Amino acid sequence: MTISEKITEGMSIKTAFTIHAFGLNIPISDTVIGTWIIMAVLILAAFIFTRKMCEIPKKPQLLVEALVGYINDFATEKIGHHGKDFAAFLGTIFIFLIAANLAPMLTPIGGFGFEPLFVIKPVTRDINVTAALAITVILTVLICGLIYKGPIGWTKSLVKPSPIMLPFNLLEYAIKPLSLCLRLFGNILGAFIIMQLIEAVAPVFFPPVAGLYFDLFDGLIQAVVFAFLSTIYIGEAVE
Amino acid sequence: MDVQSAALIGAGVAVLTGLGAGFGIGLATGKTSEAIARQPEASGKITGSFLLGIALAEATAIYGLVVALLLIFK
Repeated sequence: MTISEKITEGMSIKTAFTIHAFGLNIPISDTVIGTWIIMAVLILAAFIFTRKMCEIPKKPQLLVEALVGYINDFATEKIGHHGKDFAAFLGTIFIFLIAANLAPMLTPIGGFGFEPLFVIKPVTRDINVTAALAITVILTVLICGLIYKGPIGWTKSLVKPSPIMLPFNLLEYAIKPLSLCLRLFGNILGAFIIMQLIEAVAPVFFPPVAGLYFDLFDGLIQAVVFAFLSTIYIGEAVE
Repeated sequence: MDVQSAALIGAGVAVLTGLGAGFGIGLATGKTSEAIARQPEASGKITGSFLLGIALAEATAIYGLVVALLLIFK
């Protein structure tokens, strides 16, 4: 295949199967199946790591405790004293994004004339996945702002610095999820396309070296930035 | 010229947003190096803030990429 064909092939999202239910035809794309697989892997890992919990932790439990402690501290530091309630949500987003962005590093090595056995493409290269995460975060911000401040406090916070800021504060409820979604989508899709290009042009030595920057570093940074920004938005809404 | 060529030219212009990102991130790196040189023991916090800053500054360049992709493939 020529290079442009490879790129369009890589960028396309194919429908795996269609659910015919209640008179609707719901197409299930392969990214949805990818998210199911990631969910299954993460739930399985959660079961395995918390199976035999003892008072004096051994190594796997220490790792998980360190992770949970870190996420709890981070949430309480940024959100305030309500932070503990949101730590689970933010930690889930963080772990899911790390798993989803770093999964392409597990594809077997191809090149030298044969194609790899199976290709894992990053699940976040589909804008539907990132949009779903962004909409979840902004709904949490909206609803928890209403719950924790009450309706009167929430409307007061809309005119917080000065009443001129009212249209801008309302506009932010549309711009924040848009920027979250597009930042993650654009970074992961761009990194994926560049990796396809590098593997098509110079498959011998460059893919692992370049993959270190594009797949690993970029994926980690984007996951951290998404979780960090979600924390900041929730902290603003909950005060 | 027909719509397709105009879209392709527009896609090329859209990616010029990378200029701003490169400039801003270069400036940020310079300031980070100065700050670390001034106080090496704070380098952990400085590096953390730096990485966050470049991820956010990169976002505008990525918006340009997304617009270019939309123009090419639609």
